[in-house]
Amino acid sequence: MNKEIILMLHPTFGVLAMLAAVWLFVEVVNTDGVNLRNQQRIKFSSMTVAILIWLSYLIGGYWYVEFYAPDKAIIKAGPWPFAHSFVMETKEHLFFVLLLIATYLPIAVAGKQWIADRSARTLLLTLAALVVLLGLAMEGSGAIVGLGVKMGLLGKST
Amino acid sequence: MNMNAVDKNTFAFGWSLAIVSILSSLLVVLKERSEPVMGLMKAATGHHWITHGLIVLLLFLLLGFVLGNVARPGLSRTGHNTLTSVIVVSVFFSGLIIAGFFLFS
Repeated sequence: MNKEIILMLHPTFGVLAMLAAVWLFVEVVNTDGVNLRNQQRIKFSSMTVAILIWLSYLIGGYWYVEFYAPDKAIIKAGPWPFAHSFVMETKEHLFFVLLLIATYLPIAVAGKQWIADRSARTLLLTLAALVVLLGLAMEGSGAIVGLGVKMGLLGKST
Repeated sequence: MNMNAVDKNTFAFGWSLAIVSILSSLLVVLKERSEPVMGLMKAATGHHWITHGLIVLLLFLLLGFVLGNVARPGLSRTGHNTLTSVIVVSVFFSGLIIAGFFLFS
């Protein structure tokens, strides 16, 4: 597969995961503990978040390990070295936290306590919000890394 | 059933998530500061980041199953609100440690 397509799949799955997390958030806000279809949607959306974040992790990880080195060299030699030394380094390690939260979401949903317990719903809402916040941070970081490569190739000074 | 008590797996893997997030951020500092540790992690799988990911995931699963087995009804009485707070604080400090380290190193 073309490496640019692989690169684009990483943020695409990330954005879809954030949308699924927003969907989960809305379903949990609107749950009444009675509507079975709502409960099924909560289970499905939590699984969707987990699967999409895992796909983003595996595809992004493959690209990072196999293809990132030349980009890294360009960034470090360019006017925005922080795009790697701070932004990419933080992004690649903070992603593990996002991965853990996404993996934990279906586990917390499987407990089913959210059906009757408001504080259990707060836990799910918080996890979904964390997925969105960290996802946005990942997307923004990816944009800065991409811009760091562009700046390096253009040889622009800050 | 006491609805205020967190169920076994939610309790176990929630705490595991909180603990492993912090451990992962500390591993970042350790491997970046220690050449032998970085070398070992590179040698294990060919790339330190792959090894880091495997450690994080295995620790999460291991700690989750261990805590799940020791979490008798009396032990898992952590409320959902406490668990939520622990996770948020852990995620915040994990981010702070990782971003702070790369910002100032």
